[in-house]
Amino acid sequence: MAQCVQSVQELIPDSFVPCVAALCSDEAERLTRLNHLSFAELLKPFSRLTSEVHMRDPNNQLHIIKNLKIAVSNIITQPPQHGAIRKLLNDVVSGCQPAEGLVANVITAGDYDLNISATTPWFESYRETFLQSMPASDHEFLNHYLACMLVASSGEAEPMEQFSKLSQEQHRIQHNNDYSYPKWFIPNTLKYYVLLHDMSAGDEQRAESIYEEMKQKYGTQGCYLLKINSRTSNRASDEQIPDPWSQYLQKNSVQNQLISRKGLSRSLFSATKKWFSGSKVPEKSINELKNTSGLLYPPEAPELQIRKMADLCFLVQHYDLAYSCYHTAKKDFLNDQAMLYAAGALEMAAVSAFLQPGAPRPYPAHYMDTAIQTYRDVCKNMVLAERCVLLSAEILKSQSKYSEAAALLIRLTSEDSDLRSALLLEQAAHCFINMKSPMVRKYAFHMILAGHRFSKAGQKKHALRCYCQAMQVYKGKGWSLAEDHINFTIGRQSYTLRQLDNAVSAFRHILINESKQSAAQQGAFLREYLYVYKNVSQLSPDGPFPQLPLPYINSSATRVFFGHDRRPADGEKQAATHVSLDQEYDSESSQQWRELEEQVVAVVNKGVIPSSFHPTQYCLNSYSDNSRFPLAVVEEPITVEVAFRNPLKVPLLLTDLSLLWKFQPKDINGKDNEEVRELVTGEPEMIGTEVISEFLINNEESKVARLKLFPHHIGELHILGVVYNLGTIQGSLTMDGIGALPGCHTGKYSLSMSVRGRQDLEIQGPRLNNTKEEKTSITYGPDRRLDPIITEEMPLLEVFFIHFPTELLCGEIRKAYVEFANVSKCPLTGLKVVSKRPEFFTFGGNTAVLTPLSPSASENCSAYKTVVTDSTSVCTALTSSASSVDFGIGIGSQPEVIPVPLPDTVLLPGASVQLPMWLRGPDEEGVHEINFLFYYESVKKQPKIRHRILRHTAVICTSRSLNVKATVCRSNSLEDEEGKGDNMLVFVDVENTNTSEAGVKEFHIVQVSSSSKHWKLQKSVNLSENKDAKLASREKGKFCFKVIRCNEREGATQSSEKYTFADIIFGNEQIISSASPCADFFYRSLSSELKKPQTQLSMHTEKHSVEDAVSLIQKCNKVDLNIVILWKAYVVEDSKQLILEGQHHVILHTIGKEAFSYPQKQEQPEMEPLKFFRPENTTATSRPSLEQLSNLIKTSLHYPETFNHPFHQKSLCLVPVTLLLSNCSKADVDVIVDLRHKTTSPEALEIHGSFTWLGQTQYKLQLKGQEILSLQLKACFVHTGVYNLGTPRVFAKLSDQVTVFETSQQNSMPALIIINNV
Amino acid sequence: MSGSFYFVIVGQQDNLVFEMEFLPAGKAESKNGYRHLNQFIAHAALDLVDENMLENCSNNMYLKTVDKFNEWFVSAFVTAGHMRFLMLHDIRREDEIKNFFTDVYDLYIKFAMNPFYEPNSPIRSNAFERKVQCLGKKHLLS
Repeated sequence: MAQCVQSVQELIPDSFVPCVAALCSDEAERLTRLNHLSFAELLKPFSRLTSEVHMRDPNNQLHIIKNLKIAVSNIITQPPQHGAIRKLLNDVVSGCQPAEGLVANVITAGDYDLNISATTPWFESYRETFLQSMPASDHEFLNHYLACMLVASSGEAEPMEQFSKLSQEQHRIQHNNDYSYPKWFIPNTLKYYVLLHDMSAGDEQRAESIYEEMKQKYGTQGCYLLKINSRTSNRASDEQIPDPWSQYLQKNSVQNQLISRKGLSRSLFSATKKWFSGSKVPEKSINELKNTSGLLYPPEAPELQIRKMADLCFLVQHYDLAYSCYHTAKKDFLNDQAMLYAAGALEMAAVSAFLQPGAPRPYPAHYMDTAIQTYRDVCKNMVLAERCVLLSAEILKSQSKYSEAAALLIRLTSEDSDLRSALLLEQAAHCFINMKSPMVRKYAFHMILAGHRFSKAGQKKHALRCYCQAMQVYKGKGWSLAEDHINFTIGRQSYTLRQLDNAVSAFRHILINESKQSAAQQGAFLREYLYVYKNVSQLSPDGPFPQLPLPYINSSATRVFFGHDRRPADGEKQAATHVSLDQEYDSESSQQWRELEEQVVAVVNKGVIPSSFHPTQYCLNSYSDNSRFPLAVVEEPITVEVAFRNPLKVPLLLTDLSLLWKFQPKDINGKDNEEVRELVTGEPEMIGTEVISEFLINNEESKVARLKLFPHHIGELHILGVVYNLGTIQGSLTMDGIGALPGCHTGKYSLSMSVRGRQDLEIQGPRLNNTKEEKTSITYGPDRRLDPIITEEMPLLEVFFIHFPTELLCGEIRKAYVEFANVSKCPLTGLKVVSKRPEFFTFGGNTAVLTPLSPSASENCSAYKTVVTDSTSVCTALTSSASSVDFGIGIGSQPEVIPVPLPDTVLLPGASVQLPMWLRGPDEEGVHEINFLFYYESVKKQPKIRHRILRHTAVICTSRSLNVKATVCRSNSLEDEEGKGDNMLVFVDVENTNTSEAGVKEFHIVQVSSSSKHWKLQKSVNLSENKDAKLASREKGKFCFKVIRCNEREGATQSSEKYTFADIIFGNEQIISSASPCADFFYRSLSSELKKPQTQLSMHTEKHSVEDAVSLIQKCNKVDLNIVILWKAYVVEDSKQLILEGQHHVILHTIGKEAFSYPQKQEQPEMEPLKFFRPENTTATSRPSLEQLSNLIKTSLHYPETFNHPFHQKSLCLVPVTLLLSNCSKADVDVIVDLRHKTTSPEALEIHGSFTWLGQTQYKLQLKGQEILSLQLKACFVHTGVYNLGTPRVFAKLSDQVTVFETSQQNSMPALIIINNV
Repeated sequence: MSGSFYFVIVGQQDNLVFEMEFLPAGKAESKNGYRHLNQFIAHAALDLVDENMLENCSNNMYLKTVDKFNEWFVSAFVTAGHMRFLMLHDIRREDEIKNFFTDVYDLYIKFAMNPFYEPNSPIRSNAFERKVQCLGKKHLLS
């Protein structure tokens, strides 16, 4: 129990005081009424004696009574009405609330720190009123009238007459059987005569004389002259006179009101009606004091006399005697089985025992328990039981027996009185918390129970207080259902008490916690929340938008996109993919775009990336660099994607959803004009705001909303959050078990039930981890993605692709068109495109004539530039030349960056231009994603944005077409047609690897071209008769071409980048291979091919820089011959025949080594076994390989194939043989020719022994660079037969190399000679 | 006839670690509005569990019925780590509840050994839930 103002030793005597009746004449009553008081009220402040009272007990012993108090009340002949008492008690409790700002005690119990108000004044007021309003009953005499005051006024005509009238009236009330009420203590009631005199009105002398008369008639002891004052005039004076009556008046004013209470407000959940077991018992009339055990004593029964004696002793505080009398009476009653009487005696015996001075015996709690049980269960008298409990609990509390007190209090909670149950439960809760080891959780539970009962009793404030106090214990421990229930109740009660902010926050708690409630429950919570919120917002309609708790916003997932939405494909036109919110973030590709942009910026800035460069970001997300303020361009929309999540099991409907922002405009000059520099919000002329009228988020769904802003003015924009109406959909839920708010029935909820509010977007930047300080603390960088700076107008490029294919054969050439459109109001220039795959496309070289200009006219035309030739020229090459510079492949330039050949280099506002674009299917089959980055600048330089970019990702699916394999080898014949220089043979194997069933019917090789700085195709050496050069599926064809050196004269005048093209035509059309697009793709493939081995080469050169000569040796094996195979494919598609064109490139570097058109799959080398010894010959690697050294000198033997010799005439046959030595390198070479047979193998001896070389057997020669030397030899035969002349061994080394030994040179083919006898 | 059961594991700071209801077939979900009452009763019983622990000298983990509220009995089991298992039940089933507690304790220890489980935090594991459900069916509802 809570702490009380009164101690129990004060409380009990004050609760049982001698009762005195007051019977006033009408005139006396009128007189007191002048002061707005009844006579009893008039006496109330003076009903406690300040002086001691002396009394003699039956043993004639003197007793001193201190602080004697009497209760004077006007005679009311009706017993108090039950309803009136109830109302009175209710009003007393509701009128007594904890003071505002009362500092609550902090109680620490275990892990809990609780704020608890230690006192419960409402309970004390209730108890006092309850005890005072107890109706008198027959089994006890404590509140029977002991005496009666007869009151008359001095102003009456016959005051003495009046006194005797009153006396008769009193006698009539007490003894007439018409009145069973009030009860009187003794038959001959003591009378006290009071003459009331108004000093301000009456005649004082007359009053005195009447008083004298009274004293003579009734004795001095029984009379009193009471002088009162009824003046009201000086009330206005400032002097504050204490009003002793005020504290008593409030309670009594309502006494006689009889108000039928309607049913208390419905419980929160219908289910909670059954919180306490047992159904409601029909209320018994409180007056029905039937002794249920059947026995009724007559008023004069001796047992009752003892009880009367006990009560009298008790009233005059003679507790010893009272106890013994009660004890005696108790025994008698129990013997007679008069249970009600026995219970009464037990109760008072226990109280007397407790109050006995010096405490001779312990408090007999079991008396009380029996009494309570009897009252409640036998007599069904809850009022008496309650009194008993209140007394006993207070006594137990004073003895620190909290546990017993709590048990008593809890035991008396029942269905018949919610108010009583609430108060007792609250006291029980306080008992738990006051225990030596406080029971916090019991406390909390009983506070909840008390709160529930308070709320049923209509005591909303008390209910709210109980729930709030209990909440401290349950908060944040995961008891979510309990927490929800408490929050819901707090919300409800706060709402009905118009504490709207509390209501909102309580409902908010229910909604934002991970709820375990059912969907129906959540729906109800949400509707209540919305309803309450609506009320809050209606209070201040112009106030700032409230923060809404739902739906959740994943702030860090917010994405911002600058620019227009991508236009959908328009017929043949396909817009560049650019950047959009539909694209998922991919770190790899974003890195790729960044590199592309860096490349093009480096090219624009002469190879250096300026320090102020930051990659352009059109889409900001949690992965992008948001540390700087993003730049947006005026008149270009800003799209913000907000990620919503609905945690509830009911759908949420957002309406009129838009972004909330503030804007700091700047004037056009960009200077901060102080006057202009002010914040503007919601101004549509500055920033247009798109509104989404309806946005539905289903239950437990995550959904993004894209919201647009249209900046119309430059300045600084800050996107603050979103604003919307939050509502839900009606109809998907039932309202079962959910009570409605008072004054709001469920039908009111409709689709329009929504509240307007906002949610802020606050994004935390990335955790900083650079400096030591940042590493040791937790600091976050800024995230500025929602704070764009609106800058001046910039050009805006749109790119469309026309006839852009999605499927190509490998190597296929297709002509498409690109349209560049400037959709802004600024001219743009400096248009470039950069791609990692420059070999994929070309805009044509400088030499290309830009034909035909419109894409429609170019349909069904060949992509190539062709010339009709006559068939006679077949097999001989047609040559032309072109420089790689013309095709944008200069030395040192970035091949990836390609300027777009705009006709005037500037694209004016609104203008558009279409350019042809040739594409070549990548050599690898599969799906290729090719990224294009278009770069452009404004003509007018902008300080903030130097350039803009546009991205496009083309997706091309390629399928297999041809495989080309080529080798080049030295020709055995020394002279070309013109009899001079080197020549070689090129073997080209072409295989149709296309596998598609329906697609390609056959391939025709229409032309083979060479491209080289030093070599050119001369003619085709027809190996087969396949003149058409057709290849059906899986067929393989072989071509052989003769290659000769270009004219040295030509070569001398040409720049080093000049390539000679030679075309060998198999059809009747020549494709000009030195023109676009053929040459473009050739150069592109060359440059991309060179890129790869270049790294290897540079490694080599580094190693060999010391031995310069070795590279010379290597060089003589090198060729720079490139073969271009041009083909046509006949394709049947939808029963239409199509002709596709294409080209393949083979780049030949090394004589004798196979080269392929398609990238060879490099087999991953297996892991080499680990070596535990040091490699021995580290120097060996630096030497050129034997194979390389053996290719220094090319040898060939010239001799007659058959030689007829008359052996019978001459036994020796001499045949002249010419040995041609050709130096392949450009350096001087020392050569040793050794004609002697090797003598290592006896077998070889046998064979070779049959012929010998005559003359000098060893030659030491020196050959200058590329010199050809012939050596005349003679072979001598003695028999007919077939001989191999290829026995001369040739050794060679570079002349200026001393350290290197001569290396045996590769033998040419077996040189067979037939010697015939004639 | 089998009664209704509500089982809860309470952590050291009186925080709810795990809860599950066992309702006899046909009674399922019929008393949705009561669910918070289970929590209230179980929570209030903690005071008596702790009191019981202080007085309990036999070192039994199973404390039998410690509290009663209306038709509900509250039985308790306290682990060595002071995790409190509580069971609300409306019929007396001492042995079955003891067996259930012992089996769940076994399960709980295995679960708590998971290095990714932070002790005393709410258990969010479908496997654990399923196993407790099985134990409930085995001991309580059969």
